[in-house]
Amino acid sequence: MNERKIGRREFMKLTGGIIGASMIAGPAAVFAAPKPGAQVDAMKITTATATMDPVRPEVARVCADAFKQIGWEVKADPIDYNLNVQKVIMEHDYDMWFVMLSGASIRIDPNVFIYQVHHSSQYKKGGYNWYGLNDPEIDKVALAQQQEMDIEKRREIVFKAQELCHEAQALTVVAYMQMTTVYRSDRIKNVVPMLGEGTGSFWTDINMEVVQGDGYVRTARPTPLKMLNPVAAKDTTEFMELRMIYDPLFRVGPDGNMVPWAAESYKVVDQLTLDLNIRKGMLWHDGKPLTAEDVKFTFDYCNQWKHPFFYQILKRVESVEITGPHSVRIKLAESYAPFIPNLLGGMFLIPKHVWQDIPEKVDVSDPLNYPNEKPIGSGPFKLDYWDRGREFKVSAFKEHFNPPKCAGIIGIVYGSHDAVAAAIEKGECDRNRYILKPSLLLDLQKVPNVVAKGYPNHGFYSLGYHTRRPPLNDPAFRKAVAHVIPKELIIEAILSGLADPGGSVIAPANKFWHNPSVQSFPEDINKAKKILADAGYTWKSGKLHYPA
Amino acid sequence: MQEYIIRRILYTIMTIFAVATILFFIFRVMPGDPTAQVISPALDEAAQARLKEAFGLDKPLIVQYVLYLKNLVTLNWGRSYTTQHEVFGILKYRFWNTIFLMGAAMSFTLVVGAGLGMVMAWKRGSALDVGSTVSALVLQSAPPFVTGILFLMILSYRLDLFPTGGMATPGMRLATGIQMLFSKDFLHHLVLPTITTAFYYLATPMLIMRDSMLEVTGSDFIELAQAKGLSPNRVMMKHAARNALLPVFTVSSVLIGFALGGQVIVEQVFSWPGMGQLMVEAASSHDYPVAQATFLLLAALVIFLNLISDISYCYLDPRISVGGGKH
Repeated sequence: MNERKIGRREFMKLTGGIIGASMIAGPAAVFAAPKPGAQVDAMKITTATATMDPVRPEVARVCADAFKQIGWEVKADPIDYNLNVQKVIMEHDYDMWFVMLSGASIRIDPNVFIYQVHHSSQYKKGGYNWYGLNDPEIDKVALAQQQEMDIEKRREIVFKAQELCHEAQALTVVAYMQMTTVYRSDRIKNVVPMLGEGTGSFWTDINMEVVQGDGYVRTARPTPLKMLNPVAAKDTTEFMELRMIYDPLFRVGPDGNMVPWAAESYKVVDQLTLDLNIRKGMLWHDGKPLTAEDVKFTFDYCNQWKHPFFYQILKRVESVEITGPHSVRIKLAESYAPFIPNLLGGMFLIPKHVWQDIPEKVDVSDPLNYPNEKPIGSGPFKLDYWDRGREFKVSAFKEHFNPPKCAGIIGIVYGSHDAVAAAIEKGECDRNRYILKPSLLLDLQKVPNVVAKGYPNHGFYSLGYHTRRPPLNDPAFRKAVAHVIPKELIIEAILSGLADPGGSVIAPANKFWHNPSVQSFPEDINKAKKILADAGYTWKSGKLHYPA
Repeated sequence: MQEYIIRRILYTIMTIFAVATILFFIFRVMPGDPTAQVISPALDEAAQARLKEAFGLDKPLIVQYVLYLKNLVTLNWGRSYTTQHEVFGILKYRFWNTIFLMGAAMSFTLVVGAGLGMVMAWKRGSALDVGSTVSALVLQSAPPFVTGILFLMILSYRLDLFPTGGMATPGMRLATGIQMLFSKDFLHHLVLPTITTAFYYLATPMLIMRDSMLEVTGSDFIELAQAKGLSPNRVMMKHAARNALLPVFTVSSVLIGFALGGQVIVEQVFSWPGMGQLMVEAASSHDYPVAQATFLLLAALVIFLNLISDISYCYLDPRISVGGGKH
């Protein structure tokens, strides 16, 4: 009962504060230029509370303390995560933000971290460049890599972009956290991990073999299955189960490279034209064949109903033409390199004979509101049942061209990470889906027959700077700050050693795209002070002052 | 009497209406753009606009409110924003799961609580009396997430007597209805959450029963019964306890109301797919229709229980008179 009281009081304070603040400041707060020679302004690190992620407030505090070494007053400010998003992404009203940019598979392609995070056009309400970075040189390469369809040439541009982004330091990558997942080696074998997802990935799903038991792999999840509608999927967790039932044209492979899937092969005809050969002999779960008709239908349907996740990319598609029973030609309106990984590698093919009647013949007016309780896909698993909030079961679709080695998967929902860990320790479950808290992983390492490890991940914890607020508007200042963050301490003491020190925004784990010449800044207070001194900053009785 | 009952029912309806209105607005007065609470800000603007359209959030607030009230009355509670299922269907399934757990826990609490309280008062000052009082108070001070996790640690993880959570063994589909209620697997899963809830609330009916028993045992009619030469057990059960039960009955409806609210924690600890867990899920995934409906249903349930206890009280205790009637 107590929680409720506190909640209400905080709520009153919160709403009052927000209304007050918005009346005084308004959306267009203008920041005065630094007074030459004045003391450098005190600042705050906004971050989430320990309830959401115990790591974040701890790291923010450690960083704030470390910044005192260069005579700069900084305080950690952990607040509810929704408010983080509101203040930073929506209102751009913050100084520094400590946040995790997770390793979703859509982020393996460098476009998100290079273009969306750094391009000046993305400094808008809801955009990813909440840093406000506006660097014409970065803008140029960020756009160039997006438009270059030749993968080798694009890689060169991405390498160059990483150097520029690292130099600009709109954000400091603090640590690449490992993807911590567990499985029981006495139950399953041939467990294939994937970049950013560890042993909870699709590649694990179709490759693992059951050593003992009824052939089904019991997979523990800390959150329930959300939905079964491939047209309404709007965040990456929703894709994680749907992708067993539905096939995209390509899949992101275990190492992050694209693997032709329902499209057997493809040919880039020119910058704007792509020919796809659809795999022959594929069947829908109801036994009907999958053809080029279905592929074209998928594009048209998702475009017509504005698929929330793909609509922006679909707008770049000019036409999809059927060129044979198993081939299509896709014409783009403008060249867009992430087209294959981010659209063809994600959008699920849907059967025309089912979806052409939706929403007309069902009781909803918009396919986004359709529950799709008996999904007909072409994927390696078909759905047996879903008891909402409790568990679901999928079984191998034997007619698939890449049938799973297990009989199927049962996904079981637990109330917390702790319950997931206990279920695996007791042998109720064979493995987990998504990340497991590092502290629990360390406990599970002591249990016989449990493999609990950190796997490579391209996501990271980062400290982002509001690059339009002095002193953070000065690249030299940001670079100095990057040399002060105690990365090693954070990794050892707060992240249980299950992380690697951060450097480039494209993680080393993302082998093809990572530029190895971009190195992590080591913790070096003297170097930081030298950078500041060279830029004209001075110290008076230990406090940092702006250049005169 | 009838007038009183009608008045109480009208008040109840008004209260539920007020709760519904507060619920509607409370989600929408969160700081910033109200739709940002529903639709992830991590999506770009076009996607957000698309989702707002699908969910009807692009309409003005007042229109949404009128629609909401209309749907409320017609029991057409809309569809979940995350699963696209009808809210009514989701609630129906989750509601019974919670009721099974609550039913078991509250029966345990009331029967054991009242029984113990009765014996304690009868043997006032004995080791049983003191011991039960102290342990009940200790249990009442320990929040369910502590006792629940302790039970899990000892009885499940260490001794392996009970499962770690859920309603059934993974991979075993539950039979429906009565069959499920009597399946061994289900009952096995029911034990730990039941005693966790029951222990937390045990002290209330127990101590009230004890007090009320002590009061009753001082009455003349008990002395008379004893003087008649009835056996002490008969006096305790038939004469004292019967009359002492009334306050326990009153408090039970309040208690069940509290317990329904506190169920959120127990269900979370034991991964029980009931309304409490649904509330957490819906609130954290910004699923308005489901969150509103769950909160409303729980509120309505508590209000309804109060109504029942108020009305039944006039029948159970002839000394109570309502509406200024004279005896």
